[in-house]
Amino acid sequence: MLTVKDLKKSYKSGDVTVAAVNGISLSLKEGQFASIVGRSGSGKSTLLSLLGALDKPSSGQIFVDNQDITQLHDKDLIKYRCKTIGFVFQSYNLVPNLTALENVMLPMEFGGISKEDRHSRASLLLDQVGLSADKQTRKPARLSGGEQQRVAIARALANKPKLILADEPTGNLDSQTGTMIFDLLHNLSKSQNTTIIVVTHDNEIAGKTDKTFKLSDGKLITKKS
Amino acid sequence: MNPVSRGIRNAFRNTSRTFSIVIILGLSIGLALAMLVADQSVNNKINTVKASVGNTITVTPAGFSRFSSVNNSLTTSQLAPLSKLANVTGVEESFTDRLITIGSNTNLPFGNTKSSATTSLSSPVKLKAKAGRRFFYVGGGGANFSPANFSLPITFLATNNPNQINTGNLAIVSGKMINANLDDNQALVSQAMATKNNLKVGSTFTAYSTTLSVEGIFSNSTQSANNTVVVSLPTGQAISNKSGVVTSAVVYVNSLDNLASVTNAVKNKLGSAADVTSSQQQANQTVAPLDSVKSISLYSLIGAVIAGSLIILLTMVMIVRERTREIGVIKAIGASNGRISLQFMSEAVTLTLMGAVVGLIFAILAASPITHTLVNNSATSNRQFGFGGPGAAFRAAGPRFISGGRGAGGFLRDNFTNIHAAVGWSVLGFGLLSAIVIAVIGSAGVAYFISKIRPAVVMRTE
Repeated sequence: MLTVKDLKKSYKSGDVTVAAVNGISLSLKEGQFASIVGRSGSGKSTLLSLLGALDKPSSGQIFVDNQDITQLHDKDLIKYRCKTIGFVFQSYNLVPNLTALENVMLPMEFGGISKEDRHSRASLLLDQVGLSADKQTRKPARLSGGEQQRVAIARALANKPKLILADEPTGNLDSQTGTMIFDLLHNLSKSQNTTIIVVTHDNEIAGKTDKTFKLSDGKLITKKS
Repeated sequence: MNPVSRGIRNAFRNTSRTFSIVIILGLSIGLALAMLVADQSVNNKINTVKASVGNTITVTPAGFSRFSSVNNSLTTSQLAPLSKLANVTGVEESFTDRLITIGSNTNLPFGNTKSSATTSLSSPVKLKAKAGRRFFYVGGGGANFSPANFSLPITFLATNNPNQINTGNLAIVSGKMINANLDDNQALVSQAMATKNNLKVGSTFTAYSTTLSVEGIFSNSTQSANNTVVVSLPTGQAISNKSGVVTSAVVYVNSLDNLASVTNAVKNKLGSAADVTSSQQQANQTVAPLDSVKSISLYSLIGAVIAGSLIILLTMVMIVRERTREIGVIKAIGASNGRISLQFMSEAVTLTLMGAVVGLIFAILAASPITHTLVNNSATSNRQFGFGGPGAAFRAAGPRFISGGRGAGGFLRDNFTNIHAAVGWSVLGFGLLSAIVIAVIGSAGVAYFISKIRPAVVMRTE
């Protein structure tokens, strides 16, 4: 489902060129739940942003369902992000003046789903992630961290993506809530056959995934499968 | 929810900031609308003045003065070609003189004191003056003083178009209009003249030692008209023994568009023998001071619209910079630049429409005071330079002075304070349009900033 070949991404920092991702190759099958671990600055988040087409690599290829997304034009990249990818961020990144329901409906609007369908599907997804109906009409500021992350997961699932990329989804949560969120993602990968990649510092979480990639200085140093 | 409704909702995201922006924008738009109202009001006044003076050209003998005893003159034969000029609808010719009442004391500072043109009529106009000082008409102030046996010289007007004088506040109240083409010694006198000299329709009096019959009596509220005897041009030329002599003419043109070309044609026909002035030229000279008001209002209008655009542009740039992360998130979940720009444009339009409402209220309250301040300042500064001068020249234009015409200069001067400044539908429409233009211009730059935000920013700011 996902194949990465010799992926590189470097930045100019003054006169120095920094190789954030330096020749990474990996592959994942459909429905696999993988984790990426590594210290700060090891290139985890950069790799995730390249996989999600948020940034363009300096070189290398990323195949998603046999399509090289590094060759896509901007318009197609927008479509790719909208239809194929679902993002979950560490600090949730919900739109603050929209309700939980409206936040989940947002990607569906970009995906061209009708208003009625958006509403019913968003409500269903929020039910699935365990957000009660009375909280669905609340704005993010009136939800707890765990609840906001549930909304973020529901938003990531909105357009039925093939690949969910989660950047330290439990990083801002207490261990109990973090475990609940991890279990939620794990169940989703199994029940909906969705490929999920989680960036995490938590070795316990990493140990529960199907595959774990460890990064150091932009390179893949170990791989557990 | 779509981008437009999200933009509208975002406009109220920070109420204190929204309030400040709306007030500042409102003042800017209000100033623009007030200036538009001033511009429209001044334009209307200029058009009114120009329309009121008509499509006419005044022709007088070169250097002619009504009160001079030594004057050049024109002749009917000189003026005859004018009626054949293209776009000329008529030529009104007149001969004016002053008649001395037989037996009266005429040793007065009016010139032409030894005129042989006499009449049996006495002037109905009484004088009021202080000894040794200038004379005033009754009602003009000063102590009663009349020289013994004094009668004001009577204006004698011979015209080929007596109907034209029957306009404004002049009307036949007894008898009928004289026939302009006949040398039949028939005359029109004012009610005041008739009362003073015990005249009725059919009564007779003398002028130039010739007996004239009263054909009609007209009413008029002006002293100059009350002091006038009107006859047909052939009668006037015959009894004054000045065959073919014309002291002024008015050429009528079919439209304002042709006024300038006909004026040039008349000048070419008459050469140095005549002074030729179009009414529009006089009106243009008279309303010239208002051009400064138009300029001020136009530049202020443009300035206010630019200021409004800058306000909303800077505001939107600030908002975009604030929401960089949020824009990155929206891009990351599949929004296009166009969709995000539409959302911010909708927010800008909402802010400017609210500003337009505030601006409209400001304009309703301030348009009239601003207009009058601009106009009064302009009028005051121009009066110091003899404002109304062209109107004075206009008064000498033949029979028109009878109908109380004070000239465009006097008209405008008197009506400067009557300029009507009101917010109409066109101003409302402009307010709406300017709000949209300001919003579009203001948010156009924002689209550029939005396109430059990369979705990866959401990862780097984690």
